[in-house]
Amino acid sequence: MTDQRLRVDWPSCTARGVCHELLPEMIDLDDWGYPVTSRDPVPPELVGFARTAVRLCPQLALRLVEVSGPGPRR
Amino acid sequence: MMADGLVIDPGPALLAGVLDGPGLAAHRRRAGELRRVTGEDVARAAEAAGLRGRGGAAFPFARKLRTVLDQPGRRPVVVVNLSEGEPLSAKDHALALVAPHLVLDGALSVARAIGARRTHVVLPGDRPAVRLSVLDALEQRDDTGSVRCHVASPRFVAGQEQAVLELVSGRENLPVTAWRPAAVSGVGGRPTLLSNAETWAQLGFLLQHGLDAYRRSGTVDEPGTTLLTVSAPGRPRHVREAEHGRAMGDVVPELGHPAGADLVLLGGFHGSWVPRDELARTPVSVEGLRSRGHALGAGVVQLLGVEECPVRRTTEIVRTLAGESAGRCGPCRLGLPALWAALEDLGAGRSDAAEVERLATLVTGRGACAHPDGTSRLVRSLLSVTPEEVAAHARGVCTLTDAMCPAP
Repeated sequence: MTDQRLRVDWPSCTARGVCHELLPEMIDLDDWGYPVTSRDPVPPELVGFARTAVRLCPQLALRLVEVSGPGPRR
Repeated sequence: MMADGLVIDPGPALLAGVLDGPGLAAHRRRAGELRRVTGEDVARAAEAAGLRGRGGAAFPFARKLRTVLDQPGRRPVVVVNLSEGEPLSAKDHALALVAPHLVLDGALSVARAIGARRTHVVLPGDRPAVRLSVLDALEQRDDTGSVRCHVASPRFVAGQEQAVLELVSGRENLPVTAWRPAAVSGVGGRPTLLSNAETWAQLGFLLQHGLDAYRRSGTVDEPGTTLLTVSAPGRPRHVREAEHGRAMGDVVPELGHPAGADLVLLGGFHGSWVPRDELARTPVSVEGLRSRGHALGAGVVQLLGVEECPVRRTTEIVRTLAGESAGRCGPCRLGLPALWAALEDLGAGRSDAAEVERLATLVTGRGACAHPDGTSRLVRSLLSVTPEEVAAHARGVCTLTDAMCPAP
């Protein structure tokens, strides 16, 4: 069973915050406006919103990756 | 013996030839001609020896190798990482000076075994003696046609795996996000077997001297040895080869000196604080340390003077680490200076541990490399190992006799 998890390409991320606007259920912002993504798998009902967040990131710094088992917080 | 400011003690395996000099002839007299092996031979030997990577993560070498062997199609690449970004560590440095051919034997026989297209040797930018010694050693050999040398930037994160792969690929020597493990897709998309110098030297010893010789040191569960870099106030750094299973206090008798501080830095700037007495009783062992919540990391043991305060020392290290951020990832570029500032505030009695803890947790796992994670680990170990001292600092008091502390 593979899960979909959010991962940030940190060198590309410039804290535009769009991902948080589109997926607040799974993405918080830190003191400086950079995303704090949930470590949990993206639940099925949010996968569509997660894909939108990935597509609309102005830096293309957010990805959905398939991982098996528990993943690191990235 | 003394070399380049280091004391390198003779040891049972990797450092057995310290007194014979680093030349190829002396090495061949000890280790014999390079053995011909297959990739499967190497994987089996590494498995039987329980060999783990010595760069800090202690990842089982055989698993990495099998991942490389399992990739269809393109020929793999071997990388020897000698950059040793951890400033307190000098074990790879010592190997380059006294046993460069053992490192090269390991890398080149595995490269031949797996049909590697290239072997990249990454040299440190800030340790010129290492560069000279390795280049000398390469010139003495006739099996280095596939070898290419590179010099890493003289900075902490330059030695991190992704940064090394970038350097070898002809790009800037800084960490980038890894979407796939190097063993699957590394240099130029090829399966890449990257290890640090000690790991290759361990393989060199294992392949040249055989499994029985390898098992002569250490325990049944953890055969072999590990290299430590020991530093103590007012003394040159020592590099020592410790047999697995021996008490840390036997291998590092400095831990028993009555004049030392109660806490010891284990693993380096990305390591953790450990009570000195507890460490002295702990066996040299990945599992033994792990079960007590510690990690050998890069094999660094740093003792403090009795007048040195661990809160102040941690603050200084975090200041250094904040300055060593490559500045590419926001949470590291902004979070580490904030963490440093929070520690300064704590030391001056202006803040408490909760803010330090919050920031240390916040930066973890949020960078292309493990620089924020390692920094966070050090800070959190301080908070958990000596909460009384941290609380005293939050009240503006240092209970130790550190004249520099609390910071004015």
